[in-house]
Amino acid sequence: MSEPVLKIENLSKSYMLGKREVPVLSDFNLQVNTGEFVSIMGPSGSGKTTLLNVLGCIDKPTSGQVLLDGVDVTKLPEGELYKIRRNKIGFVFQTFNLLPYLDARENVELPMETTKKSKSERSQRARELLKMVGLSGREDHRPQRLSAGEQQRVAIARALANDPAIILADEPTGNLDGKNKREIVSLLANLNLDQGTTIVMVTHDGHVAAHTERRLFLHDGKITKEKQGLHLAKKKSVCPFCSNQIQTNEIFCSSCNKKLND
Amino acid sequence: MAIMISIPAGAIANQESTLSLTENLGSTITQTEASINQTLTQIDCTLTPSFEGFGFSPPDSGSGSTPPDFGGAVPPSSGSGNFTPGQFGGGSLPGQFGGGPFGSGGTVAMNETLYSDIASIENVAAVAAVLQASQGENQTMTSPDGRSFTRIVPEYVIEGIQLTSDLVDNYPILPSNITSGRNLQAGDDGVTLLSEENAVYFGANVGAELEILGETFEVIGIHGSSGVEDRTTLYMNLSDAQSLTDNNGYITSLQVFAENSEAVSEVANSISDLHPELSVSTSQQRLEELQALQSTYTTALESAEASVSQMQNTAFGEIVVAVAATSLIVLFVMLYTVRERTKEIGTLKAIGFSNWAVMSQFMLEGVLLSSVAGVVGIAIGSVAAPALSGLLLPTVAVLGGAGTFGRVASMGSPATVSITPELMVIALAAAIALGTLGSLYPAWRASKTRPAEAMRYE
Repeated sequence: MSEPVLKIENLSKSYMLGKREVPVLSDFNLQVNTGEFVSIMGPSGSGKTTLLNVLGCIDKPTSGQVLLDGVDVTKLPEGELYKIRRNKIGFVFQTFNLLPYLDARENVELPMETTKKSKSERSQRARELLKMVGLSGREDHRPQRLSAGEQQRVAIARALANDPAIILADEPTGNLDGKNKREIVSLLANLNLDQGTTIVMVTHDGHVAAHTERRLFLHDGKITKEKQGLHLAKKKSVCPFCSNQIQTNEIFCSSCNKKLND
Repeated sequence: MAIMISIPAGAIANQESTLSLTENLGSTITQTEASINQTLTQIDCTLTPSFEGFGFSPPDSGSGSTPPDFGGAVPPSSGSGNFTPGQFGGGSLPGQFGGGPFGSGGTVAMNETLYSDIASIENVAAVAAVLQASQGENQTMTSPDGRSFTRIVPEYVIEGIQLTSDLVDNYPILPSNITSGRNLQAGDDGVTLLSEENAVYFGANVGAELEILGETFEVIGIHGSSGVEDRTTLYMNLSDAQSLTDNNGYITSLQVFAENSEAVSEVANSISDLHPELSVSTSQQRLEELQALQSTYTTALESAEASVSQMQNTAFGEIVVAVAATSLIVLFVMLYTVRERTKEIGTLKAIGFSNWAVMSQFMLEGVLLSSVAGVVGIAIGSVAAPALSGLLLPTVAVLGGAGTFGRVASMGSPATVSITPELMVIALAAAIALGTLGSLYPAWRASKTRPAEAMRYE
């Protein structure tokens, strides 16, 4: 539980806007341990997505170190980075990013395409994952025949395909309505709880972030506030104020009406 | 894209057809030249018909045989006695002479001793004696003014030819167009070469035993007529024909061959001087015809050659344009595709596809796309190429349909465009090669797409 799966040291990232250098992240430090469910919140332009991209090895930092599972990914050439992305990281996108001409199972198989797994192994794994996210019987549906929530479930199954060290979710509920939002965040929370999957999620939705046990507030590329909260799914249960039985997704206690975490 | 690919295919096919047409014209001209050269040395001698002439003729030469006058084209002076093959030009109009004084005469024949006389003239290379007798039925007709007359409707013509090996091997005395069986040979005896019409008339085929005027002959071959002149002529050995028609020692014409074309008129004059009773003809008319034909062919050939060279330039230009256009189209289509699918590419890279995997994916798509386009293009090309060639090659199309040239065009190489399997393979290979070329840059662009950029792309 205390093993750091992700360790960021003195990370800086700046973009060139014409000749002017615009710093996005400066001297950023963060450590994420195995089995943590971390959310990163902040206004737009605060550097959330940049941070996630650097963590996900799809953008290079200007300086600093990113140790992922003990490997400094900032030192790796592009020719090696794709293997890190394939084997160590699972991405969940705001817009799902499923391939429209592949069915659910084929989409889930996609990250395994370039691995040594045999075709039947890949298929078997994809079925298991789809079952796990609650999409049994929908394996041969194409994305256009799935609801937004179901599409995001497929995307989560795809992110889990190669059993990654960490899941990076960029606004996973940004395109979903209330019910689907709750279902998806519960799914992530349950994955974290049941399987110990490490998840780093970027969101600007406090209700979604409320499901995580550790919340980081980002402003102008720096962590301005960090809160340890109650993992709703983990707690599952009792109001800290009145010991009343509570529902997993509730933000306010139905009995004492106090806000459950902040 | 498919059509772009079909255009060079059509152009190549077009060019090939024109080339084959040119080759065909070339060989026709050569044949015509050979024919002219042979004709140049040929002199036909027949006995000038007269009342006395009839007196010499054997009274009975078979069942009512009379030499038919086939010739509208025959000069009036040669009259009914003239039936040398070279001089029969027009259609058969026996009725024209039927009521006249010549119609009722017998066979006009030359004594065979003339042969040696003429053969000894200077510059005579060879002399072939010919006996021609026609068999037919008498038909009585009544003319509109009430006079009735009898004419002979010819059924077949027997032509006896002197079959010596020198003549047979070196001079055009036998029909050249044998459609089945074999031609007559030196020393043939008791055999006959029928025309196609004869074969139908007698109901006999190659190998059959055929009874002609009471004698039995074996049919050794069938010749296809080269015109109206020998459509009903059956050929046999001279001596066979003489005995068959009871004309022993008589011939009806001599074909004289001069040593060379320059000596022809000299030889002709010598024959006329020696035997003024002979009608001597040097086939001048036939020669002029052939020369006119040759000049037509030559003009057509020049025009076709000009057309081919023009065509080659055009085709080359077209191919360059088509290749450039095809590559550009593939390039733009693929660039568009890559742009459209930035998000997809970004996703693929984010979930762990290598640059190489992304690039090969797009290369494969480009190649598949152009292969399919190539197949479609070939299909369209095979249908559209003949129509296109008509548009692109008006000269040949017009010549192909016109008069004399039409015969050339029908002589084995019709002026239509055919898409050969070889051409299809080339076109398909070109399509795939161009697809690869056009996909290279877009695929590289795709592989270099930064996954971060693709992430939020809508």
